[in-house]
Formats: sequence, C-alpha cells, structure tokens
Amino acid sequence: MWSELRGLKDEIDFGTPPRDGSPVTLEIDDVTVSVPAGSSVMLAAAKAGRNIPKLCATDMLEPFGSCRVCLIEVEGRNGYPASCTTPVAEGMSVRTQSPTLQRLRHGVLELYLSDFPPSEIPDGWSEFHETLKAEGVAENRYGAGCNHFDSEIDASNPYFLFDPAKCIVCSRCVRACAEVQGTFAITIAGRSFESKVVASQDQPFFESECVSCGACVQACPSHALVEKSLFEGEYRHAQSAEA
Amino acid sequence: MPNPLKPEKSVVTTCAYCGVGCGFKAETRGDKIVRMTPWKEGKANHGHSCIKGRFAYDYYIAADRVRTPLIRASIEDPWAPVSWEEAFSHAASEFKRIQAKYGVKSVGAVSSSRCTNEEIFLVQKFARAVLGNNNIDNCARICHSPTQFGLTNTIGWGAASQHFDSILQADVIMVVGANPTEGHPVFGSLMKRRIRQGAKLVVIDPRKTETVESAHCKADVHLAIRPGTNVATLDSFAHVIVREKLYNEAFVRARCEVNEFENWKALVGSDKYAPEVVGPIAGVDPEDIRKAARLYAGGPNSAIYYGLGVTEHSQGSTGVMCLGNLGLSCGMLGREGVGVNPLRGQGNVQGGSCLGSWPHVFSGYRFVTDDATRHSFEAEWGVTLDAEPGLRLPNMLDSAVSGAFKGMYVMGEDPVQSDPNQHHVIAAMKNMECVVLHDLFLNETSKYAHVFFPGSSSLEKDGTFTNAERRVSRVRKVVEPLAGYEDWEITVKFMNAMGYRISYSSAGEVLDEIARLSPAYRGMSFALIDRIGSAQWPCDEEAPEGTEVLHRVKFPRANGLGTFMLTEYVPTAERTSDQYPLLLTTGRILTQYNVGTQTRRTANSMWHPEDVLEINADDAAPRGLRDGDWVHISSRFGQIELRAQISERVNSGVVYTTFHHAKSKANAVTSDLSDWATNCPEYKVTAVDVVRISAPASADANEGARPGVKTPAKELEPAE
Repeated sequence: MWSELRGLKDEIDFGTPPRDGSPVTLEIDDVTVSVPAGSSVMLAAAKAGRNIPKLCATDMLEPFGSCRVCLIEVEGRNGYPASCTTPVAEGMSVRTQSPTLQRLRHGVLELYLSDFPPSEIPDGWSEFHETLKAEGVAENRYGAGCNHFDSEIDASNPYFLFDPAKCIVCSRCVRACAEVQGTFAITIAGRSFESKVVASQDQPFFESECVSCGACVQACPSHALVEKSLFEGEYRHAQSAEA
Repeated sequence: MPNPLKPEKSVVTTCAYCGVGCGFKAETRGDKIVRMTPWKEGKANHGHSCIKGRFAYDYYIAADRVRTPLIRASIEDPWAPVSWEEAFSHAASEFKRIQAKYGVKSVGAVSSSRCTNEEIFLVQKFARAVLGNNNIDNCARICHSPTQFGLTNTIGWGAASQHFDSILQADVIMVVGANPTEGHPVFGSLMKRRIRQGAKLVVIDPRKTETVESAHCKADVHLAIRPGTNVATLDSFAHVIVREKLYNEAFVRARCEVNEFENWKALVGSDKYAPEVVGPIAGVDPEDIRKAARLYAGGPNSAIYYGLGVTEHSQGSTGVMCLGNLGLSCGMLGREGVGVNPLRGQGNVQGGSCLGSWPHVFSGYRFVTDDATRHSFEAEWGVTLDAEPGLRLPNMLDSAVSGAFKGMYVMGEDPVQSDPNQHHVIAAMKNMECVVLHDLFLNETSKYAHVFFPGSSSLEKDGTFTNAERRVSRVRKVVEPLAGYEDWEITVKFMNAMGYRISYSSAGEVLDEIARLSPAYRGMSFALIDRIGSAQWPCDEEAPEGTEVLHRVKFPRANGLGTFMLTEYVPTAERTSDQYPLLLTTGRILTQYNVGTQTRRTANSMWHPEDVLEINADDAAPRGLRDGDWVHISSRFGQIELRAQISERVNSGVVYTTFHHAKSKANAVTSDLSDWATNCPEYKVTAVDVVRISAPASADANEGARPGVKTPAKELEPAE
C-alpha cells in the first residue's frame, strides 16, 4: 500500500497511515482524488497535492485529532472537523482553505506559540516552526502568561534530550513509543496545563523503560525531543536553558 | 536552549548492524555526520530504527581507528606504519613466498557478513582466481551455515521465504531460538504490532526473553526447553501434527515429495517423540507442546522466525530441517503471512551466503565441482579455477595447528574472539606465517597478525547489503574513507599486488559482475536500486523488481517439490555431569552488537558496561551467590570470570551470558563441538560449573590460560 502511494517521495507526510479499502472518490478544493475507503480526508488532500497544516498527525501514527490545526469544511456538514480523524466518503466535497479556517487555525497556532520560548522561534526548523511560517503566524495576541519556559531539561540519555519548554503535548512521542516501537515507555501525566510528557514513572529517560529507539525523537514536531548530536560544543551533552 | 543546527546534506544508506538492514538518512554538516534518521521509504523499516543504527554510529571516528597500514615481521614485534604500496607488496610477497614453499593450498581467505556484497564477492574471487584454491569461508559458518544446508534440503533455498511485512498477515507467530526485540529490534517492533492486533505467539527458548513477555505482548505458549533439545521438541511438535492429523494433506500432495512425507510421518509419528516422552527430556510440560503444535497447525497463517538458538548446535542443521518440514507439512509456505524465516545476525549474512564465500560453492550456491558453472567463472575471470572444494574456516584453523596452512587474509572478522574454543584459534593463528587482517580496529585477532589493512566503515564506502528478507539495499558513501581507500578498493589493490590484473571504476561494476555470474542477482544493479529503493532476490527477467514471497508455485529444487528430511534426535555429546552441572547458553542484548567492536566504542556501553552471568535463584542459593558477586565459570574447555545476576529469566539448571565484551571472553568456555553438517559451532550448549569468587583474579586471569589448567603446550595440540 505504501509503495503505491509514496513511491520514493520521502518528503511527503500523508498525515495518516494508508488503508486498503476499495477506492472512494471525492473532491478536495475542486481537485478530484480517489483513495481507499477508511482513509482520512487529510491523506486524500495530501494525495491531491492540497496538504493541510497539521501538528499532531503523521503518517506513521494512527490519527489522534488533538492539535486542531488541520480543520476543514465539508460541504453539507456543520462545523470544522479535523481532517485527520474524518474518513473520506464517496462524493464528499472538502475545502481546505477559507477565511474562517484561516482564522481558526491562526487562533490555535497562536495559543501554541504563547507557550513556546520566544527566543527559540527565529532560526527554528522543526515541523512546528515550518507550520508557523507557512501559515504566516509570527506572534500571538495572548502576551506573557503562564508558561513552561523554566521546565528542567532531561539530558540523561546520551543521545537525545527532552526540553519540556518546547513540548506542545501533541502525544506523537507517546504514540510512537506505543504504536511504532511497542515499548509503551512514555505517557502524558497530569491534566490540562499540568499535562506533560513523562518516561515510565516520571523518571529520567535513561533510567526509564525507554530503549532509545529514537521513534519519539523522530516523531516530535517541535524539537522538544531532539538529538544531542545536532548541537555544537557544550550543547552536545546538553546544558540547561540558562547555562 | 538554542535551536539545533540544521543538517546540510543527507545521503540514503543502509544500516550495517543487524540483519534487518534498515534504510537510514545519514545527515551531515560539513564533513561530519550529525545524525542518522530512519528512512521512511526503507522497505525493511518504514521509518523506524533502534538504538544501534540510529545513535551508535560514532565508532567511525573513534580515536583508535587505524588510519595507516601496518606491518611487522613477527607477532612479537611492534607494528610499523607503512604506505599502502608497501603494505600491499609485503602482503603479496609473503603470500607468494608461502605458496611457493608450502603449496598453493597453504593459504586462504575469510570474509565477514559486515562486508558489502561487492567486498564479499571480491574476497572469494581473491581466493579462487588469485590464490588459485577454494579456501574461502565467511563468518556465517559460525552462525547460519545450518540455515543454508537445512533449508536448501527441504524447501530449496537457504533464505527467508518472506518479506518482513508478511508478518502483518500472520495469525500465529512462532519464534524459535531468537529474541527479535533485542537482536532484531525493528523487526521485533513489527512483530509486536501484529501481536497487539491479535496474532498468537509461540516462543521456544530456554530463556524467558523480552519476546516472551513485554508490554501488551505475551507469548501464548513459552516452551523454556533445556538447551540442546530443539530437535526433540520440534519432532514432538511434528508428532502431535501427525498423530492428530493436523497436517495439510492437499498441500503436501500438490507441492511435496509424498514418499518422503510418508517416511517423515513414520519417524516423527513414532512413540519416542510423543510429548509425554519428550517433555521430560526438554524440561517442558507435554501439554504445552501439544498446545503449541495445535496453534501452529491451526493457522490459518502461521509463520516461523528463528535464530542462532536453532543453528548453533551439534544438530543445528537438523533443527533447521525440522522447521522446513513443519512448514511443508502444514502448508505454511508460498503465500503472505506464513513462511520459514531465519533472522540473520549481521547486516549481510544473507549476502555472505549468496555470494560464494564458501569453500564448496560459487555465488548462487552452485558447486565448484560443477564444470559448467566453473567454466562460466573461468570465462569471466580469465583464469583456470580449482575444481576441488576448499577448507572451511575451522578446517583452516585445524590445518594451521597441524602446520600445513600458513597464511590467511581475514576481512572484517575477529576469529580469535568470535570463534569457538579460543585456545585452539590462538594456537592456529600463532602457527601461521602471514595473517593479513583487514579491519577498522586492532582487535583480538590482530595480536596474531603480520599485516593490517585499515578498512573503511560502512559510512565511507559504496556497495550493497542483502538483509534477512533477501532485500538488496544500497550502502552509499557519506564521508571519505579515513584511511584513504574503500574496502573493495583495498581488496582489488591486494589482488593487483598479487599479480592479478583487474580494475573496477566503481563498486557498481562489481555488482554488475555479480549479476552476470549469479542467477538470483541477475537483475540487480545500482541503477535498479536507485530507482526502486531496494529489491529482494530472486531478481531477474521474470521478476525485474525482485520477489517478496518465495515458493508461491513451486520450490526451487530439481523437481519443483518440497521434501521432508528425517530428523532423528541425537543428544549433544556436551552433557552436564557432577563436575559441570549447569548448562551455559549465550545470547545478545539490545544495546550491544556481537563482539562489540562498534558499539563498545559508543555511549551504548552506558547500558551494558559488562557481560554478566544470569543464574536462577535455585542455583545461586546453594552456591552462596548474591546479585553482583563475581563468579568463576569453568567448562571442559576453559574458564572465564563474570559478575552474576540472579534472574528468573533462566530456569534452574541453565545459566546465560552475552558475548559482547572481549574481556569476558565467553568463547573461552564454549565447546569445540559443531554442527554435523556444516561445522557451525555449538555455542548454545556448554556444561559448566559456577563458583563464587571474591574478586576477579586480575586482568591476566582473563587470558584464559591459567596455570595448571591449560598449558600452552596443550593448546598446540589439535582440538580433537
């Protein structure tokens, strides 16, 4: 299935995994596209070349629907469903861009931005940074409020570090550890503003059940989980934000 | 924290660690590799990775990488750095001198499954075309040679019948003597995914491995057999299938030799293989054997995955045949979701097997004794080739001990550490006049070498690897070779120095030669792999983009039928006694890779700083052992010292260790018994005793030759 869909086009993330149902034809922004039944609208849009912005979705993981960036309009339906969790239907007509969608997406992205260290916005090249750029969101309307900027960095693992200040709690790491690796070492502890990514029983990664497969690092869209080798000098073996 | 620095360039290549052969993107800044990320289009890994491939790559710039060629007149002398030209001409003149004095067959070559297909092919060409004999072997001898023998004799090809993704169609997964979550982690993750989707799992392993039980993944049946009773257990499996008529008669009638099937039925159906008889021998509940056999036969899709726990036995080949027989009898071959699949330890074991690094066969498993095959190679290579099969690695070593074998070209192997009965290997090495070692690092074997060619890591060269599912993928040069030459170039230059004129403008030309001379690789080329990512052999006119599932219509045997081999259980001669009451078996751990040459030079050692001996509390208590105590482990062959770890993973009567650290020398205790058909050593069963000691008897205790136990004089005697 993947080979048919992907070819060797490495850079495309279809957003949700492929399915193998019988073909369903629909329209995305007036582009007609056929995908197997059970596929998401997000995947169909990517196939139609109308990629929908997203943060919590990636085609290696089952859809989750938490980031609320991939909203769409479906003709004849109410509201603005998430395209990652909306299955395709025969004859469906989807809009991926509209003034309302843009307003909603910007609002969501600004909320993420309000709890992301401002000094880390310029020069960033993570999926999160690229999404902000693509959507033209550079600042937020919320100002300085409660944030996680002073969270302690976990640099216990020799190969990667976890900086909770940059975590957008999209659960991609949690799902990658479960679905892709099958180790179930990561979870989200706490609720609401207190919710955070923890390894095992809130242990440093090195001491947890983590097997360092790198699936979580690969999945992280915001460089909260990131390879130490990408830093030069002292950051290679990770220092705290103030150091 | 600042933002990470963005890599500038990325090169798609293939991981050089285990047999999964994951596709990776090696990302660089300047001339430095800054990370390895799993390649989403890699058909073996689909964007997943493990700690070794993803993070443990810094060994390539380890401070002790040898960067210049070295030579010395005697192993007592210090190494002298020399130019490449001098190293080649010295090695060549020594080999020529030895051949002139002791005969054409007094020298040979050994290649490694860490080498690319192109290198492996060139090293066997070096032996056959340049040395003029068939003294060529490879390290699959000590791991998966029984796979080639056992599967060839039942289903026709010594290779996995499936592609990895096939497991996502399996209803029953049977893992025999393998621990994929540690040894083949990316495949292990795929397997666990299928188990979470509801597939049943049967594990046959003396140890309660990660595979037996982990988060959301638990074996439906775990047969914790006594080491060495694989064949009895699998025959008992077959017994249940025969007596309860669970076999697939229609498949057997259509696809197999029926007479052989009847003979097999008569053997395994006899009372001596009843679970009630075998259970006590193997140390498992007879009901569990029945339950597991019914699960396997019931399918509807049952797939077998096995590892060195099957092959590294005196009946290793028989064990593999048992699995071939099971697959045939239940019709579990020839479609997705089923199959009999070896999990290959090293990155290119399958390639090593395919490409003629054997004393008796050319690439494609065609015999050197066959005139037509030999003539096709002679025509291509422009020399007359020897029709007599050469020496296997253990025979080369035996012959070295007895004084007839005098020189060896060893590429990417460390026989002193990884081959059985270390004392014997050392004696053999000391007796040779020229050992040419071609490796990244000085290792245990280099202590006995006279010439050292500093090789290139897989990040510094072009070529291909063939993974455990027969998938041929590209290895691409990411950075320049530290010592100046890619490995295939070194072998070619050595050939040239020996007087054999040949040149290749790229590794791709070597693959083209492989394709011309090897039927299953006929369609392979760098261009094909660049276009479609990777291709599984057989790849030829009928299957221009390769073949995922083998045996769909017929088996690759003369009559197209699968056949049944008689698999009588013969207990190993290695048995427990009052003096050696425990059985030692060995395995590997996630963070380290084989003898640790690469991983011990990375931060992976933070997880596994030393090998330990796992021992059950029931065996520890009478010995006064506590967790972390040092123990002396002795066998009929040698002794080692390790720390003990009290563990419920092993049953009483069995102890277990890993073999990742040179200093622990696990192979100093293993026996010199080997597989009856292929000489694959019996690493998995050694009778030992374990005694508590207060501290290790200092570093020289680990030399293995303790006073009064095994004198150097004794070491020089032949092993028999």
